Amino acid sequence: MDDLISEFLTETAESLDVIDSELVRFENNPDDRAILDNIFRLLHTVKGTCGFLGLPRLEAVAHAGETLLGKFRDGELKVTPPMVTLVLESIDQIKVLLDALENTGVEPAGDDKPLIKRLEDAAMGVAQEPAAVAEPEAPAEPEVPEGFDVDLGRELRPGEVSLADLEAAFQNTEVEGVEPDAPAEEPVAETAAPLGVGDFDPELGREIRPGEVSTAELEAAFASAEPDPGMAPPNIITEDMSAEEALQTAVAELSGNDAAAGGEGGPRVQQTVRVGVDVLEALMTTVSELVLTRNQLMQTVRGIEDDEIKGPLQRLSAVTGELQDGVMKTRMQPIGDAWRKLPRIVRDVSTELGKKIELVMDGNETELDRQVLELIKDPLTHMVRNSADHGLEMPADRVQAGKPEKGTIKLSAYHEGGHIIISIADDGKGLDTKRIAEKAIEKGLTTTEEVSRLTEQQIHRFIFAAGFSTAAKVTNLSGRGVGMDVVRTNIEQIGGVVDVSSHAGRGTHFSIKIPLTLAIVSALIIGCQDQRFAIPQLAVRELVRVGAGSEHSVETLNEARVMRLRDRLMPIVDLHEVLGVGDRLDTEETAAFVVVLDAGGRNVGLVVDNVLDTEEIVVKPLSESLRGVQAYSGATILGDGSVIMILDPNGLAGEIISTMDDEATAEAEATKVSEVQETQRLLLVRAGGEEPKAVPLSLVTRLEEFDPATIERTNDRDVVQYRGRLMPIVPMGAQMQCAEGQRQPVLVFSENHTSIGLAVDEIVDVVEERVDLQMGSDRQGVIGSAIIKGKATDVVDIAWYLDQSRAGDVQRRSSQRRRRLLLVDADAFTRRMIAPLLAAAGYDVTPAGGMHEVQRIAEADDQFDALVGDPAALDRIRAQGYWPDLPTIAVTDWPEDTQAEGLTAVLPRSDRSALIATLDEVSQEEKAA
Amino acid sequence: MSNDSSELGTEEINEYVSVRIGDQLFGAPVNAIREVFTPQSVTSVPRSPSEVAGLLNLRGRIVTAIDARTRLGLPPRSADETGMALGVERGSEIFGLIVDSVGEVLRRPRAELEPVPAHVDASWRSMVTGVHRLEKELLAVLDVSAVIGSAAGHEAA
Repeated sequence: MDDLISEFLTETAESLDVIDSELVRFENNPDDRAILDNIFRLLHTVKGTCGFLGLPRLEAVAHAGETLLGKFRDGELKVTPPMVTLVLESIDQIKVLLDALENTGVEPAGDDKPLIKRLEDAAMGVAQEPAAVAEPEAPAEPEVPEGFDVDLGRELRPGEVSLADLEAAFQNTEVEGVEPDAPAEEPVAETAAPLGVGDFDPELGREIRPGEVSTAELEAAFASAEPDPGMAPPNIITEDMSAEEALQTAVAELSGNDAAAGGEGGPRVQQTVRVGVDVLEALMTTVSELVLTRNQLMQTVRGIEDDEIKGPLQRLSAVTGELQDGVMKTRMQPIGDAWRKLPRIVRDVSTELGKKIELVMDGNETELDRQVLELIKDPLTHMVRNSADHGLEMPADRVQAGKPEKGTIKLSAYHEGGHIIISIADDGKGLDTKRIAEKAIEKGLTTTEEVSRLTEQQIHRFIFAAGFSTAAKVTNLSGRGVGMDVVRTNIEQIGGVVDVSSHAGRGTHFSIKIPLTLAIVSALIIGCQDQRFAIPQLAVRELVRVGAGSEHSVETLNEARVMRLRDRLMPIVDLHEVLGVGDRLDTEETAAFVVVLDAGGRNVGLVVDNVLDTEEIVVKPLSESLRGVQAYSGATILGDGSVIMILDPNGLAGEIISTMDDEATAEAEATKVSEVQETQRLLLVRAGGEEPKAVPLSLVTRLEEFDPATIERTNDRDVVQYRGRLMPIVPMGAQMQCAEGQRQPVLVFSENHTSIGLAVDEIVDVVEERVDLQMGSDRQGVIGSAIIKGKATDVVDIAWYLDQSRAGDVQRRSSQRRRRLLLVDADAFTRRMIAPLLAAAGYDVTPAGGMHEVQRIAEADDQFDALVGDPAALDRIRAQGYWPDLPTIAVTDWPEDTQAEGLTAVLPRSDRSALIATLDEVSQEEKAA
Repeated sequence: MSNDSSELGTEEINEYVSVRIGDQLFGAPVNAIREVFTPQSVTSVPRSPSEVAGLLNLRGRIVTAIDARTRLGLPPRSADETGMALGVERGSEIFGLIVDSVGEVLRRPRAELEPVPAHVDASWRSMVTGVHRLEKELLAVLDVSAVIGSAAGHEAA
């Protein structure tokens, strides 16, 4: 493609982006001449260049747009949203044409009459003589006063331009820059203005920044001198300065134009050069190599006492460092570049949905690596769009909620350490915790039990989970199926983290933490089985020493390892195991380190042998042949020249989860054949006394808290209205002890539409442990005692309490013959828990712990109505040919993995009511038969 | 290229770097090889595909070492033999194909290249483009790109 055209394309694309956001600003501040002038000039430049390059179609559209803008500028037309939309449309059309031009190298065929017609109509709406405005090429436009003159020369001689602007500005605004000497100013400035121009401008231009200093100096000098002639120059300078600066910033945004403009005109050359990105990339790579070589060299001469080498090497090292910094700087771009499109997007959303939205952007100038910038552009756009679309309410709703009609989205960015923090906050309705929880359960991301124990924030984080999208209504704008999970993935890909916090009614706040650059990162070097690995520092939360004499220790929970860190359980994985380079470390014997990693917002502990060093590393992409291994994000060369792998915390977490799943499945397989005890999830509560009591969590339907005032007393029983029914409440202790103003915690057990509440003093914890009932109990309501978390704990007999609460109920199935069941389960705990419950439901239960017991019972020729037990046991009973025609109901923790063949039903162990319902059904069938 | 001393045109002659892998003599086309080097301090990569011998540092560039023995289904080298490596550039990456030893450069007329016999193992046939009969033994011509390539393509599949 023609060089000229390609340069034009880049330049124009930048200009159009600026126009986009400036137009939105302008819409909000229709009286701001400076913005309008800027837009006008930009569009005019585009038009002029199109004409010059012989692109008639583009020129025509730009011209029509410009004409309409001209009407705004001359005050002939009022600025209204529909008008702005129209101008934006013309900008969009120009973009479309440019795209085509970029792809094909020629302007596409066709014309834009309808759009141009609308633009012209709009312009004519008020204007009497549209032809006069539309016809002449803008440069020659005669009627337009000074302001335009300026625009004319797009290689504007800056001094003159600003002067014209200045004068206009001077008349209706107060002096901005200067605090003192208020009264004398105005007349002085006016008289001085024409004379000051020529003399001062060139000089000024050369040293704009220092100009301020000199103003101060001048002021100081003039303070002692005559006021009248003395004041004039400094005022002009200052005034001139501010206008110029304004202009400069405006111009700086389109650095291309700036270069072009400055290039031709005299002394005010903005020293910029356009350099291809690939050149910078190559430079960066070379510097990275240099840094590595330097490191290598430093390592080699470490310990050599030779000043002849050391001196120059120090120098080389320093220069390399400077070079590295310098090259890094060339890659830096203000984040504002990524935000430029946002005002337009927000405007479109607000117009489309009828919302009122203000976009506040803070920290535009914060710089980051352009590669990183490119990668976060889309996620950011998506998030802002989300906030506008879903986060903020409709104006009416906002007013009703006592908030200002206009919603605010605040974007900010700042540096922190080697990272950049970007936050996107809205003052909308906040995330809907309940809906997220429901959805997470529905999508199988969590379970009801788990949700009850999660904090709000933990629930909110589900929005980042894969395949999660909450928008009930799919709008045109967001909710296209790509949700926050994509955002998270994109951010994590560049080693960043994203988090959310939200308060109902007050708004949602997303924060993103990303490294400033991807090329060089600080890493922790760890050792594992004679090998070294790097972990990006950003992902490392902390280091904990474990084993041999350390206060922290790794505990085992059903073969999975966990560590208690500040009272939270954290999953632990052994790098040896994950990488398959050896056996897991025996952390009781050997001292080791646990690197606490931030993997997608959750902590995961990684056991390593050693923590060796921290080092700045240059990340090298992985070879094709290794890209399939999730555990690594890249490789690097260390100072000593050796190559090591960079571990990817997120990939590692992915591997961990899959290994955990594998293990769980393997575990499940193992349990099916062998008769091993399993762990139980237990709810620890306190009721009537200090010592904890344990309730199997699988039996509890829900945890609730009730206001004591809502607990009523009828018929000598405590009841509470719960989901439209009366639920009896039985205290687990001697009586309900609930302090004034506190809420009464209640464990709810539901079965066949009836619920029973068990009131406790306090819910203490949920633990997962192997329950080994140490002794039985004669006490009512207690099955026995077990050691849980190192403490003797009573295991509560739920069935007894259920019976208690039913004391007044119509006796269940009193008229029926009590049916007999054989309950086969290897786990003594399960037998003890389920048997009483089935008994309470009206069954006579014969428990059996293993095949020999079953055999004995079978040989005694006992008869039953149904068999209940774990699938493996039932299989074996069938294989033995005992009780061939009986219904068999399998209960298991993994119902979906169980072969249902030959079984009447397969039920989850935790679903007690389903078990009873199935048993009832089976009995009914039997009776009917 | 004009001062090639051979009486035949360059295009009529194939040049091979002769390498030995196991008991077999192979020829790697000279133009496919960037350089020959001794692999030193190869970092093994846990969980990588089996043919990836590891990564090594070749003058500041990371090279993925592919073990030719594994690719050809031969038993592994004994631990004390480091072998030699053929540097192969592919795209922006460099691979190092590890062989047992590297011999002299052989020049053979192209016309003498014979197709791979049909009964040779299929996996070999995908990596060997032809055979030259030398005085004492056969020279199997390696398709270096295929040896490296399917290693790289392995994961994607």
